[in-house]
Amino acid sequence: MKKRTKLLALVLALGMVLTGCGSNDAGNGGSGDGIKDLVTWETSNREMENVFILNSEMANDLNVLGNCYEGLLETDPQGKLIPGLAKEWGTEDGGLTWTFKLREGVKWVDVNGNEKADCTAQDFVTGLEWVMNFHKNVAMNTSMPTALIKGCKEYYEYTKELTAEEALALDNTKFLEMVGIETPDDYTVVYHCISNATYFDTVCVSACLYPLSAAFVAEVGAENVLGSTNETIWYNGPYTLTEFIQGNTKTLTKNPTYWDTECSLFDTVTIRIIEDTTVGFQLYQNGELDHIDLSEANLRTIWEDENNEYRDQLAEKLPKKYSFQMHLNYDKYNEDGSKDENWNKAAGNEAFRQCLYYGLDLTKYLERYNFINPLKLENNAYTMKGLLYFSDGTDYVSKVNEMLALGESDGKTTVRYDADKAAQFKAQAMEELAAEGVTFPIEIDYYIVAGSQNALDNATVLQQVFSECLGDDFVKLNIGTYVSSLSKEVVQPKLHSFVINGWGADYGDPQNFLGQETYGEDTAYYSNNYSNVNESTDEDLIATYKEFTELVNKANAITDDMDARYQAYADAEVYMLQHALSIPIYYEINWQLTHVNDYTKSNAMYGIQNYMYKNWETSVDAYTTEQYKAFEEEFNN
Amino acid sequence: MVKYTIKRLLQTLVTVLIVATIVFLLMRMLPTDYFFTEEQLMKLTPEQKQEQLQAAGLTDPIGEQLVRFYGQVLRLDFGESRRIQSGVDVVKVIGSKFTVSMRLGCTALVISLIVGVFIGIIQTINKDKILDHIGTGYTIFVNAVPSLVSYSLVLVFGSTVLGLPSLYSTRNPGPSSILPVVCLSLASIAHYALWTRRYMVDELNKDYIKLARVKGMSFKNIMTKHVFKNAFVPLVQYIPTSFLYTIGGSLLVERFFSVPGMGPLLNDAIIRYDVNVVQTLAIIYASLGTIGVFIGDVLMMLIDPRIKLAGKGETR
Repeated sequence: MKKRTKLLALVLALGMVLTGCGSNDAGNGGSGDGIKDLVTWETSNREMENVFILNSEMANDLNVLGNCYEGLLETDPQGKLIPGLAKEWGTEDGGLTWTFKLREGVKWVDVNGNEKADCTAQDFVTGLEWVMNFHKNVAMNTSMPTALIKGCKEYYEYTKELTAEEALALDNTKFLEMVGIETPDDYTVVYHCISNATYFDTVCVSACLYPLSAAFVAEVGAENVLGSTNETIWYNGPYTLTEFIQGNTKTLTKNPTYWDTECSLFDTVTIRIIEDTTVGFQLYQNGELDHIDLSEANLRTIWEDENNEYRDQLAEKLPKKYSFQMHLNYDKYNEDGSKDENWNKAAGNEAFRQCLYYGLDLTKYLERYNFINPLKLENNAYTMKGLLYFSDGTDYVSKVNEMLALGESDGKTTVRYDADKAAQFKAQAMEELAAEGVTFPIEIDYYIVAGSQNALDNATVLQQVFSECLGDDFVKLNIGTYVSSLSKEVVQPKLHSFVINGWGADYGDPQNFLGQETYGEDTAYYSNNYSNVNESTDEDLIATYKEFTELVNKANAITDDMDARYQAYADAEVYMLQHALSIPIYYEINWQLTHVNDYTKSNAMYGIQNYMYKNWETSVDAYTTEQYKAFEEEFNN
Repeated sequence: MVKYTIKRLLQTLVTVLIVATIVFLLMRMLPTDYFFTEEQLMKLTPEQKQEQLQAAGLTDPIGEQLVRFYGQVLRLDFGESRRIQSGVDVVKVIGSKFTVSMRLGCTALVISLIVGVFIGIIQTINKDKILDHIGTGYTIFVNAVPSLVSYSLVLVFGSTVLGLPSLYSTRNPGPSSILPVVCLSLASIAHYALWTRRYMVDELNKDYIKLARVKGMSFKNIMTKHVFKNAFVPLVQYIPTSFLYTIGGSLLVERFFSVPGMGPLLNDAIIRYDVNVVQTLAIIYASLGTIGVFIGDVLMMLIDPRIKLAGKGETR
């Protein structure tokens, strides 16, 4: 009997080992062959610079630090908010006051996983004080709290007037007097917003609202916090950064005290720095990396050879979180400093803009980014898909597309391309613009970085698209170059006719997208920097922009009914697109070889958590194309 | 000799000071836009940008900044890195990297010297024969083929055929150093082989060698006692500088194999406007360059006593 029990125990133990049961093991989709020690990569030009999360605004840092620190909330693979340190949260007054109930027992640990302190509501006060103290955080990460939380701006100005010594010595007393944050008990944080911020909870996955332990600050000294290293910081996230060799390796090791004991984590995650994805492909082939993005050359090599060993392992990635648009410049200058009136008049003409909107068949251009499935990259909205959903689960962008009623794709050209409409608008534009003294072909200046063959190839294809679709008698696309900085060399001197740029959300509300295009508002990023519409003198254009701005502000004022709010934003967005104030271009969808199921990763269109190595499903054998298609289907359903 | 040494050291100090000042001023002459990332540049308001510049002390008058800089250098306080490793002491940032670069660089240099000089000697002995042509072919190949192509060949062959690690790893520094060292040595071997051969062939054609042959001196003795010794003198001058420059690392090789060394540091620091790191590296490189030349001169004098570094009222 005793022998039988031992045998049974042995079999059970063996079974558990083989099937990977037990908590905190890397996910494996139940197949029992998941990866325990993930090896991933980053290119050398995106090396991490800062290990102190509150002081960093860069994705290079935050992709790693999102694993070391835990904030109030997390995001799931659908991009929806889920509990993090806050187990429940909400607002009862339309976004003026937000209350977060924290879970108990969360620990701060050192790099070796030794417990240092409890993580409590006070740490969120200390964190926000640090961010808003001019001398402590040197003006980093201040914009969202300043715009949203009561008293933040005033506290920031107050600390600015202090000497560095005085400001560094400040505790939370003055801060709590001035700023709209309170902690009724050790496990409740309440934020008071300046106005109804219905999306405030989506800001909680950004670095600016992460916690900071006052005991940590006391231990290292306030003056040394910004010089923290991976060995001195305290961690409350799923991993600790046990190794950081700049330019070579970072190793994240599972935090043994992490609060979420039900989740699956890797034992270690090693992030190797590689020169580029071509070197990375070699490493993947040697089994030294668990996934690699494919350059166009590598993808073609594999795709065009049916016998290539990786041919049936090509996996299409999920779209990146950027919605790329063609931003027209309504106040363009020539390189000699004179105004480019010819272009400015054309851009201000709605029929001309409609030609760009309907008349460009971008299929060949999209092939440059994904030659296998170019039409999948087609973007017809301004806001990024997956950013937010109506209460019935409808994606906001699907609603916008439905309202635009562009029809179905024929599988050969983009949905938006309409040669007949484009011809009508072309004739109209040529007539109207000729009457204004515009000469043809209209010169369009498009700038790319010098020395990049890839950028030149992309631009050359775009040039062909303009020529073939709109005609050489109408427009002529000139390709210019800048040496190192698009913003310094092109955008600030206003030399561009248009710039193709992607916007990734800071928070989960259409305001974060559409608010960048409004007229006469300081916070409108694209209007002030790229389209320069505030400097335009075209009355029709200004009237259209004002109408659009009114629609956006009307939507922003709706705070008690989220569906009504989103619908109002959708109306504004459709208005903007139908007047072609900005031309949607593409989404980024690349190909990869991988042992990771991307559809199990956090996939929010905002925040810092998409690289959080938590609950990732992996496979020791590389996933196949078929498996990835099945994942995609399951995800979309 | 002592007087000469002191004089050269003082010259070195002045040179380093001038270089540091020029670099300091050049960095301050760059538009402050370079202080920000592309994203920050577009997203931050003018006030926010001004505040960040103010916090970094970059809005103070240049004179004030320069005096502060001299004061810090005198105290050997090179400040903190702003972008490479935010907030970390520059000396610490550089210190962790230079040992890696120096170890790889010195290994490559020793290999290059031994192999390169050996190939050069073999080529000279077998002048216009097959071995000479092979050596010349190697030199031409290494110089003609772009570095990245030859590195890629080394990477593919080394990792696929020999099973060596593709990237440098601090956990496994021995085997993972092989491919970077091979790449670092490729060009240097060709360099030393080329110049050894050239100097030795030059020496072989000189009259005193012909005289030695006529007098019946054996070929072996001619080669070891005269040709090699004299041919080595011009090479010796550059060895100290080469050794010191190993600290600087190699931008291409270190990037290619992810070696956490000094190679890409200056480039990265300039791109990221990490002023303190750029200034410190400029001081280090200027010091290494001038000291290297000085040691080279002294070494040359020691090997060939006919060379005088300082005569009456003159220096070399």
